[in-house]
Amino acid sequence: MNILNHFPIMSVMVLFIGAFVNALVGRKSSAARNGVTFVAITAALVMMLALIKPIMLDGEVITYWMGNWAPVEGWAFGISLEVDALSLFFALIVTVAVFASGIYSFTYMSHDDSQVNYYTLFLMLSGSVLGLVLSGDLFNIFVMVEIMTFTAVALTAFRTNYEGALEGAFKYLVVGSLGSTSLLVGIAMVYSQLHTLNLAQLSALIPQNASNPVLLAAFAFLFMGFATKAFLFPFQPLAADAHAVAPASISLMISGVLTKCGVYGIVRLVYCLYQNWDLPFVQYLVTGFGAVSMFICVTMAFNQHNFKRLLAFHSISQVGYVITVVGLGSILGISSGLYHAMNHTIFKGLLFLTAGAVQHQTGSLDLDRLGGLSKRMPRTTILFLIGAASISGLPPFNGFASKWMIYQATFQQGMSTGNPFFILVCVVALITSVLTLASFIKVSQSVFFGQLPEEYKDVKEVPVAMRVPMWILAALCVVTGVFPNLVEKFLLLPATNAVYSASAYIDHAMGADYAAAHGVFSNGILGIPASNCWQPATWLMLLFCVTCAVAIVALLGSPNDSKKLAISACDEDAEALDAKYESFFSGEEAVYSQVGGSDLFWGFKHNWRKYFSFMHDWHSGIVNDYTLYGAVAIAFVLLACVILL
Amino acid sequence: MSVLMNLFHVLVFPGLLFCVVMGVLLSGLDRIWVARMQRRVGPPLLQPLYDFLKCCGKETIIPRHARKAAFLAAPVVGFVALVSISLFLPVAGQEAVFSGSSDLVVILYLLTLVSVCMIVGAACSGAPFAGVGLSREMVAMISYELPFVLVILAVSSVTFTVTGNVPQSFSLQAIVDFQAANGALITRLSMIPAAIAMLLVIPCEVGNHPFDVAEAETEICEGTLSEYSGAPLAIFRLTHMVKMYIMAALFCVMFLGGITTGIVLLDIAIFVLFCIVLTFITSSLPHAVCARFKVEQVFKFYWTVVAGLAVISLILVWLGL
Repeated sequence: MNILNHFPIMSVMVLFIGAFVNALVGRKSSAARNGVTFVAITAALVMMLALIKPIMLDGEVITYWMGNWAPVEGWAFGISLEVDALSLFFALIVTVAVFASGIYSFTYMSHDDSQVNYYTLFLMLSGSVLGLVLSGDLFNIFVMVEIMTFTAVALTAFRTNYEGALEGAFKYLVVGSLGSTSLLVGIAMVYSQLHTLNLAQLSALIPQNASNPVLLAAFAFLFMGFATKAFLFPFQPLAADAHAVAPASISLMISGVLTKCGVYGIVRLVYCLYQNWDLPFVQYLVTGFGAVSMFICVTMAFNQHNFKRLLAFHSISQVGYVITVVGLGSILGISSGLYHAMNHTIFKGLLFLTAGAVQHQTGSLDLDRLGGLSKRMPRTTILFLIGAASISGLPPFNGFASKWMIYQATFQQGMSTGNPFFILVCVVALITSVLTLASFIKVSQSVFFGQLPEEYKDVKEVPVAMRVPMWILAALCVVTGVFPNLVEKFLLLPATNAVYSASAYIDHAMGADYAAAHGVFSNGILGIPASNCWQPATWLMLLFCVTCAVAIVALLGSPNDSKKLAISACDEDAEALDAKYESFFSGEEAVYSQVGGSDLFWGFKHNWRKYFSFMHDWHSGIVNDYTLYGAVAIAFVLLACVILL
Repeated sequence: MSVLMNLFHVLVFPGLLFCVVMGVLLSGLDRIWVARMQRRVGPPLLQPLYDFLKCCGKETIIPRHARKAAFLAAPVVGFVALVSISLFLPVAGQEAVFSGSSDLVVILYLLTLVSVCMIVGAACSGAPFAGVGLSREMVAMISYELPFVLVILAVSSVTFTVTGNVPQSFSLQAIVDFQAANGALITRLSMIPAAIAMLLVIPCEVGNHPFDVAEAETEICEGTLSEYSGAPLAIFRLTHMVKMYIMAALFCVMFLGGITTGIVLLDIAIFVLFCIVLTFITSSLPHAVCARFKVEQVFKFYWTVVAGLAVISLILVWLGL
């Protein structure tokens, strides 16, 4: 038997075993701790990379029956792992993010107490997430979701001395349990009707019973369960609370990996289990949730004063993009969604790590207190700018390529169906992108540029060990942005194809012709339309243009070389601290002067003040309210599903 | 040979040299017209070029708080990004140099990149006036982006509704081809509001007078540019001029495209003429007539009036007019 067939289970096992070994041997020695962690995360990454060839390129599906409990007479009793291109796509996202986060943790966490607990929980979190995307069994997905939620809660509160750490974790625990419960109820309903929990078998059976009201209710519960895990509207406040207080490496995991589990769940649910992506109601539901999350979260980010809290809102906003296009049900939609999901993990991971670097060196994340760090931390600044340009969708970074496909997908959906709703979504997506950009300009202005406060005069650049994972992610930002053709060929096309070939997924687990016997026919896809946004030739020309212009400038600037860089005469360092020399605030301390312009977004917020004050009240910070919103949303979706489907 | 041809495209026409010449020409004409409307004589036509050259010869002062590399790189990157837009525009009956990916969304983002470079440059300088300037630039950007996006969607949906051509919905080449076959878009009733909206977007995108909140000399000492001097300032000035040309050219392509005579030089002459007329309408006239808006007024104006015009256009397209 081919060794590759064992890789899925081995990669999950190695992470869990790593966690337990860590708990045993890691208490005393940091070398043992880091060594075990490093081996586990590297092994998982390598095994997933090794699966690219058979699964992505040769189009195979790997099914692994635990204890060789293969299906009997068309009934799957055993526990299985089933890896098709979609699962592997998400597994690659997960393992790369885990790898970056793990490497970063070695230095970042080195000053904390009880690190053995951190690494044990971290590896359990990684293992559970990987298990979730590789699982071929609905109940195992639930088990993994539970492990994931509880380890994530524990890690959120890991630095208990942080203000709000316990509070954030508590909110996450309560509202997260609501999502898990919703998931469990959905699973119970499915089991009561169809008596099986194997994903492949369910994919064959559910479309047959599409009008069964219990299954429709189950759809609502499962959808909302996964939506909670992706922190979609109305669950976004707890993401913000959790991200802001968790260690940066865990923020990366929550934002880059845990939300992707929600996305994976929704894709599996809509395209594989229920196969109802072409129903208008499902399209409105999924796209609507995505678009609302996308817009509300980006405007919420405008009000934030904490670096990581701001990033948290952006992260939900970007996941909103993904869910929006996943809901379109078109080939371009799903491929652009997957592309953006991948890019989001990369650039948001990078941004969280730079936030962590700032916090590690200065001890603060307060946007109002930081400033001017670009002089002290130049490399972190460059890394941050790469991440910010990517998330804002500036060419040539990866965010641009995927957002371009997203606009295409929504616009074409609107045009080909003649439905103004999708055009509106397209406008919202474009505007959200501009607002994202504006928001990151604020961050760069208030953290890295602007004036350096006295207390951060002696800040140093972060150690190399922390910069390495950031450089890896930054390089990925550029590579996946400049070569979208390669990304499409190796990752997107196989994954999109897998999304559209449910019958191959079913047949491989349940035996040939099982899908056809149950009326599931799907042929996959041949290609992704209109995905040739950036041609390398185009880019090289542009690059050439850049070099030319730089050369011209260098020539123009050369006469000045001798006296260049004359520094402004007055001794600013001494004066800048005294408010009375600040020309702009005319003698007032900046905090006391009520100048509208001191808020970077004043012109925008002034016109939207009612909306912002409503949103401010709505995000009350009380966990009871958030639970209520969640319950209302679940009830609403449940009613809508049962009545309208 | 094709390499030489590409070099010619990038550096001469429609690339660097043509952009600069057109920018200087339009900017000079603009200054003369504004002066005449204000009963002044005005500068000579080439005054912007003289200003540019003189600025280049001046000393470059870098403030102590500034981050040197980014401070100097920002104008260059912005300028290059702007010039590269000209390679995506199928002007004067010519195919765009990058016709395969000449795309309105790409252009939209490259224009954003230009603004971002200006903002980053301002942020690097570490001065309070520049801080206010960048905040205003940002709000101005949010303001014009919504109507701009709506205009792009309206234009794309016309070509889409008539031809049903799915994969190239944002392609400029498709829009120009469509106009060559069916007449310029501005002649369609449904496109007139969108064209007006686009005319109103241009001055704000360029940063011209009634909407130049980010550079308001009298209030915030040129805001984003307040700490710049010497060659980087000259490049920012040049960027401003070239942006006038690029936006006029974009308008020509979107609404007046497909008008060809078959003779290349005559086509170019017509195109230049269009650009000059557009500059008069979008730049000189508002400059001479209006006083500067406040920043919140700019936002309100663009998100209600101008965006409203573009939405009307979209609805008219929907109704099949």
